[in-house]
Amino acid sequence: MREINQSSEIASTRDSQEKMVEPDWAWARYQPDTQRPWNLALAGHLYRRAAFGANWAELQLALNLGPQQTIDKFFQPQADAIAFNHTYDKYDAAAAGGDSAESLRAWWLRRILQTPSPLLEKMTLFWHSHFAVDNTAVKSGNLMLHYMKILRRNALGSFRDMLTDLVRNAAMLMSLGAGANRKALPNENFARPLFDTFTLGPGHATQKDVQEAARAFTGLFVFKDRLSDIPREHDNSIKHILGQTGNFTHDDVVRIVLEQNATAHHIIGKLYRWLISETAEPTREIIEPLARTFARDYNINHIVETMLRSNLFFSPAAYRRRIKCPLDFAMNLIRGLEGMVPTIQLGQDLAALGQNLYHLPTVNGWTGGTHWIDTAAVTGRFNLAAALVGKEKPYAKKLDPWEVAAQHGHNTTKSAAQFMVNLFLQDDLDASVRDTLWEKLDSADAADPGETIRRFVHRIATLPEFQSA
Amino acid sequence: MPPKKILLIGFILLGFTTAPALGAPSLPPATQWLPPNALISLEITQPKALLNLFTDKNLTEKIQAMPIYQKQASKKGFQEFLGLINLIETTLNTDWRTGLAKLTGGGIILAVFPQDKVVVIIDAEDSQMLKQLHDFFLNIARTEAEKKGRPDTVQTQEYQGIPYWSFDSQEAHTIIDNRLIFSNHFDGLKEVLDLRTHISDSNLANSTAYRDAKQTVGSNPTAMVYANLGILKSIPGVAKALNQGKNNPLAALFLAGITESIRSSNWLALKLQVQEKTMHFQAMMDGAKIDPAGPAAFSLPDKPDEGAWPNLQVPRYMAGLSFYRDLHRFYAAKDDLFPERTSGLIFFENMMGIFFSGRDLTDEVLAETKPEIRLVVAEQNYNPEIGIPQVKLPAFAVVLRLRDPEDFDEVMEEAWQKALGLINFTRGQQALQGLIIDRPIHNQTKFTIAYFSSAGLTEKTSLHQRYNFRPALAMPDNYVILSSTEELTRDLIDTLQTEIKHPAKALAHTHSLVEINGLQVSSILKANYETLVRNNMVKEGHTQEEAESAIDILITVVQFIDQLKLSVGMQENITRADLELKLNLP
Repeated sequence: MREINQSSEIASTRDSQEKMVEPDWAWARYQPDTQRPWNLALAGHLYRRAAFGANWAELQLALNLGPQQTIDKFFQPQADAIAFNHTYDKYDAAAAGGDSAESLRAWWLRRILQTPSPLLEKMTLFWHSHFAVDNTAVKSGNLMLHYMKILRRNALGSFRDMLTDLVRNAAMLMSLGAGANRKALPNENFARPLFDTFTLGPGHATQKDVQEAARAFTGLFVFKDRLSDIPREHDNSIKHILGQTGNFTHDDVVRIVLEQNATAHHIIGKLYRWLISETAEPTREIIEPLARTFARDYNINHIVETMLRSNLFFSPAAYRRRIKCPLDFAMNLIRGLEGMVPTIQLGQDLAALGQNLYHLPTVNGWTGGTHWIDTAAVTGRFNLAAALVGKEKPYAKKLDPWEVAAQHGHNTTKSAAQFMVNLFLQDDLDASVRDTLWEKLDSADAADPGETIRRFVHRIATLPEFQSA
Repeated sequence: MPPKKILLIGFILLGFTTAPALGAPSLPPATQWLPPNALISLEITQPKALLNLFTDKNLTEKIQAMPIYQKQASKKGFQEFLGLINLIETTLNTDWRTGLAKLTGGGIILAVFPQDKVVVIIDAEDSQMLKQLHDFFLNIARTEAEKKGRPDTVQTQEYQGIPYWSFDSQEAHTIIDNRLIFSNHFDGLKEVLDLRTHISDSNLANSTAYRDAKQTVGSNPTAMVYANLGILKSIPGVAKALNQGKNNPLAALFLAGITESIRSSNWLALKLQVQEKTMHFQAMMDGAKIDPAGPAAFSLPDKPDEGAWPNLQVPRYMAGLSFYRDLHRFYAAKDDLFPERTSGLIFFENMMGIFFSGRDLTDEVLAETKPEIRLVVAEQNYNPEIGIPQVKLPAFAVVLRLRDPEDFDEVMEEAWQKALGLINFTRGQQALQGLIIDRPIHNQTKFTIAYFSSAGLTEKTSLHQRYNFRPALAMPDNYVILSSTEELTRDLIDTLQTEIKHPAKALAHTHSLVEINGLQVSSILKANYETLVRNNMVKEGHTQEEAESAIDILITVVQFIDQLKLSVGMQENITRADLELKLNLP
């Protein structure tokens, strides 16, 4: 199966490794050639980064369409997307009635599983971690929903619009303890993360800048679950922020931070780690061209598209250079097995693994990378995989690998097992790992092929290769 | 349809229609073939009484006319099921009602053993029909396997010269004369066959606990459930549940006497009698008597004519719970009843200290109440001008009586207003909306209500859950009403005015009474239909259509319950429980 067994070719392409540091080559569109052919491994790679994994039909379609046409589909609105989002917006609105975000979390997970626009949800997740909010402090489903709508509306749109809306978002202010910004007592709780986390990155703003920005935010209050702007509480005196002087308001602070080169560099750096690689810091040369473009209009869509279509994205510098977050880990399995699971339970299980949607642990969001993997987390992942494909409650029989394999024409144990390796790992495994997998399959109980394949999928989910995105 | 599913349907059909009349003419009672270590057994000794109730022609016609039936009947799976029933009727040359009666008329027994082993024994009236049905299922399983190109899934083997069959690698069943024996593990079947040939003489029928339970139940029940509490109590989950009261004051309060009886009992028997459209269950245990001087004695009336009061009836009544509990004695025995000082308990006591201005909770607050506690649950009416919450919760209230209302009324009022003030202060700190307090008069009773204002809201058709609450305190005569809504408070004031004029009589020998109105419960389920469907989707991972089916079925089942009444009490200091289930059947 030539199109499958291709990652060794990727890894051995010395020529492209040398080019990876050249920005022109790195961000140019990837065109398959004999040295870097389009294959199942790269299709799987694209779906892990731009979506939450793929099912077999999606992988096959991607193989047929080629990389650029497949990426087109991620950016072009699907015919059913409007109706889908309308339906799910109604579900969200109904789930937001109480103080808890548990139902909202469950509906987001369900949306992720069924959406015709997976890239939009993937980027919404990115911004959720970037503009970290914790409902433990907010205690309002409605406020969290409003916050999430801002993220989703702008996830592939304008960073400027998103920032402008979030500066005046009640959930954001409540979460940071910045629900009251009095003239007599300016609150730095929002100004500090705005500079250090949301825009410039650490080390670009002084304490004085933070204090002055806090004065610009005076007058903003959250009362009765709503944001109020009270002019008499606004400090109308002159402020000095990041080298500029004037009677600034919160809108001016947004304008000023977006005028700083550091903002574009900081955001592009984070997008690089999200979409390309989190194993090595990008060089300034690699980041610079995209940061320059981004600073012009803060168009997120353009940057994400450039990254996903690039040579760099399809190079060894990006392939399996991220660690799946718990959400990716679970969604890869569920989407691959074409099922639907109880998402209330899934939300709780992901929270236990450290990824509690709507409840970010700190203002810096999820650290990600190797922080996802420690002994307890690995055990937790393996237990979740066993539960997802197992026959016991709460996920009992919701995912049936044997049935999925049969639907794709694989009716024997060996054929079904090979199908699962292709589906989840695109058969990109070291020979020794593959041998171990198959040895265990050979010793399995032949009388119960369904159980054998369940266990086989669980073993796949425990491989280090499956933990990589 | 997979063979396993076919087998399952077969046994369900048999199960629902049969009762284990213990022993067909030629065979000993089925309990003599069961090992003595059964955790639970269900015997249906008069299966036809249940068959007549649930397979009545009028009822069947009514069910078939229901929209939910029509909806389900249009589905492929259901049509396959109906097709199978038709095929069975043709094969057995009878209609399904007659077939069921003949196949199960001798009785049914289902027993659960340790390690999740289950044995079902069904005695048919017509052994020929039983064999025909069995052959039918074997043929179907074989045909299905052949269609799919798989090997024969039916395994036939022998044990002690008796042939037995299995549709998969675990389940095993056999037929001896007119008796079908089924187990989910071969070991279960093997034990039955061993007892049949007296390899062991120790069986369920001659075990002491079972014999005592059977004798207490008496002759001729429609059905009987026996639970071996000696073994069940050793299961960690059951042991934990029985110890709930030790760190949960509410469990200690409301399950008083019941957990103590279970802890000291070796067996529990449940007797079922069917009378027209009412099913009457009676639970009995062999537990030791409750010590009148012990910590659980707060639920024991001092005099023979004392006990729980009848439930209060209000419009849209969903449920009523009435308890005889001496709260003063209960809290005085807290160190014995719930010795664990949980953070919740410490918080509760601190708050009571604040609300009641430092009065001692046991001697100066709870001692002021009489030992009757009544809870009422009712569906709410919503005023569209105020607004309608998206999730419609039932209203609920607790009703107590005071020993000295003249002195204690103001203490209660002060405590209540302090609680409201604290809520408002806490919400105010979080810049959240507070409660507005009002003191209206209804039926000559001035009472206190608090509510969230919806003035200024433009959208009033799917409000936050907090708009389900308008907490109220009312004290007509010597009663105290603490209610979640103003409407229920007004209704209770009216009801209590009647009770004041015509005092209720306590239910002797009853310390707990629970009544549920099925139709009103189904009404609130319907009012929350969309919410329930959405919850089902994310809780169960169902599609919208599957979720709608599940909720439709739930509502339909609840609608079949007219009234459910559970009363628990002590007679000669032994716990007895009676459950009356009045069905809403045509």
